[in-house]
Amino acid sequence: MQLQNVTLFCFFASYVVALALEALQLLKKLRINRWAALVFAGAGLIAQTAYLFFRSQAVDLPPLLTSGHDWLLVLAWLAVALYIGVELWNRELALGIFVLPAVLVLIGTARFVSDVPHQELGSLYWLGLVHASLLVLGFAGTFIAVVLSVMYLVQHRRLKSKRAAPEGLHLLSLESLARLNWWAVVISVPLLTLGMAIGVWLLVIAQQTPVSVPVNRPDFIVNGLLWVAMMTLFVWLVSSRRRAGRLVAWRTMCAGGLLIVTILLLKLLGGGGIHGSGAAQRAADGVPAVSRPDMLVSVRTLQRVPQ
Amino acid sequence: MNLQVVYCNHQTARLGVRERIAFANEDQLARAYDELRNRFPASEYVVVSTCNRVELYTAQEKAEDAPSHADLARFFSEFHQVPLSEFFDDLLEQTGPEAVRHLFQVASSIDSMVLGESQIVSQVKQAYECATRSQANGPLTNALFQRAMTVSARVRSETKLVEGRVSIASVAVGEFGKSIFDRFDDKTVVILGAGEMAEETLRYLKNEGVGRILVSNRSPERARRVADEFGGEPRPWESLDDCLAEADVIVSTTGATEPIVDGARFERIRKRSRGRSVFILDLGAPRDFAPDVGEVDDNVFLYDIDNLEATCERNRRARVKEIERAHGIIEEETARFMQDVYHKATGPIIKRLRETWHDVSRQEMETLFKKLSHLDDKDRKQIERSVERVVNKLLHPPLETLRDEAKEGTPHGLLDAIRTLFHLRD
Repeated sequence: MQLQNVTLFCFFASYVVALALEALQLLKKLRINRWAALVFAGAGLIAQTAYLFFRSQAVDLPPLLTSGHDWLLVLAWLAVALYIGVELWNRELALGIFVLPAVLVLIGTARFVSDVPHQELGSLYWLGLVHASLLVLGFAGTFIAVVLSVMYLVQHRRLKSKRAAPEGLHLLSLESLARLNWWAVVISVPLLTLGMAIGVWLLVIAQQTPVSVPVNRPDFIVNGLLWVAMMTLFVWLVSSRRRAGRLVAWRTMCAGGLLIVTILLLKLLGGGGIHGSGAAQRAADGVPAVSRPDMLVSVRTLQRVPQ
Repeated sequence: MNLQVVYCNHQTARLGVRERIAFANEDQLARAYDELRNRFPASEYVVVSTCNRVELYTAQEKAEDAPSHADLARFFSEFHQVPLSEFFDDLLEQTGPEAVRHLFQVASSIDSMVLGESQIVSQVKQAYECATRSQANGPLTNALFQRAMTVSARVRSETKLVEGRVSIASVAVGEFGKSIFDRFDDKTVVILGAGEMAEETLRYLKNEGVGRILVSNRSPERARRVADEFGGEPRPWESLDDCLAEADVIVSTTGATEPIVDGARFERIRKRSRGRSVFILDLGAPRDFAPDVGEVDDNVFLYDIDNLEATCERNRRARVKEIERAHGIIEEETARFMQDVYHKATGPIIKRLRETWHDVSRQEMETLFKKLSHLDDKDRKQIERSVERVVNKLLHPPLETLRDEAKEGTPHGLLDAIRTLFHLRD
């Protein structure tokens, strides 16, 4: 099979199989299951890389700037890469059962988000790239914090109910989970802040160009409010003497979860585009929207889209 | 001869039941032995009371002297002031070879929650020594417990039961402690109690690289001794609250008969520990920490001995083959012990029968030699040997039958018949 023909379905299916194998670990712990899960996840990652690469090549833009669809896939790609990396470092750890469902949600959402290439950025290319990179890294950090919080709550619940750990569900200690969670929030919030600040700067610059973007767009306002929520969590975590505990995990899960879910909803309901408002952009740019009746959206489909 | 054990252990009864009929310290045990002697004077006793089991072994020369299961249950009820209905169904009984097999399994740690743990051997040994000090044991329980030690050593050397996690501390820290804390070298461990369990737990925690150890015990000398041995600091019992406020890990192994820390007291202590996570391992039976201590806040993780059951069961399943081998050894040793016991029961009768017949033959030969005075020494010796052979040949069938019967149990009927037929008196 040629890598140009890779579709979203290919790596989605690979991750589903990897998740199924990870779930089997909960019933019966077998070393071969974990290896098989890693092989499927690795195959999926290669396919996803090829998919993003050829789409990027087709429009001559980095995946982060191509479209909302690609941006979500980059986020999913980072999550899978993290999962494989951690599992290779510690094969006992049950990370897949927490990460892979979220990856599938990201890919599933990407399926319904427009893959129409973003408008030409021109002189704002590099600033736009830094903006998108910081945001994707910030979201990846938030995603990690949410996963760690869920793991913390699962581990905490088991320990409080005095149950032995299921054989295939080996998690990090509460101490490690709390520490990593703290770092994930403390790193991701400044990245998000910086990304958003550059976004605001881009907005200001855009006002002086013919393609001006209205400042009071709902997605900008919601993103701003979510940033305030994450910032509050950040300030509380940094200033609090109590850096661990169930409350921290709950707050992180709620704030981070809300951020991720809202971003996904914005991208879904906004009809695509890099900020979830692709329809408006497309209308402004005269770019026709591409309808995708099935999941087999290949790079060839993209190549047919008029630039 | 009669052997019996009434017991409840981690498999038959919850800790809440076990701790109510447990014997927490030697003083209590000494009083229990006095009480047992008053009630059943013809019996020997050994009590094995640990966090996982309460077992009362009894032995008597005559079966009719044996207290019944109900008698012993009533003793537990009245001694501990616990209604019989609360534990009677959990108190099991084994007699004869089953009782012997049970003790061998206990001493070999087959019956332990943590398979292969070494502490049970010293606990059984201590129980036996305590019974000896109280003069509660006797010849049969002596033989039984000494053999149990031998069987335990054999199981340990001939199987791989002792490999892996073989202490309660290792299971508890491995299963729960390491799920709470990443490392122990920056943690403060408080040990309450200075007994063997405390030492074993400290030994394990020391291997895990634990940073600071505080030892608190009612007896300051013992606290100092344990602290010195493990590089810890002894702390007076009176400053227990200060100790607990500093702790990340608390291991409690005292012989207190009532909980020493309840929820309200621990809540006050927690106000000084800034909400840090604390892992409490209560290995006492009766428990040293009231169950409501675990509910004080989200970062208090309290575990008692029963909470380790699931992990131990998993370890057990992983070592089925070794358990089978150990059972084989125990079966063999039980049969051998019972044979020895029965042989001891028939021994006096055999000896007396043999002596009686040889006495009769000697008397008859003396009479004969007086009548036949012309016989020289050589002829006399010849006759003596012939008569002796006749006596032995006549004795052989009944004695062989007796020995064969003794392999299956004390042949009371046959022994009575021999006594009656040959006019043998005790």
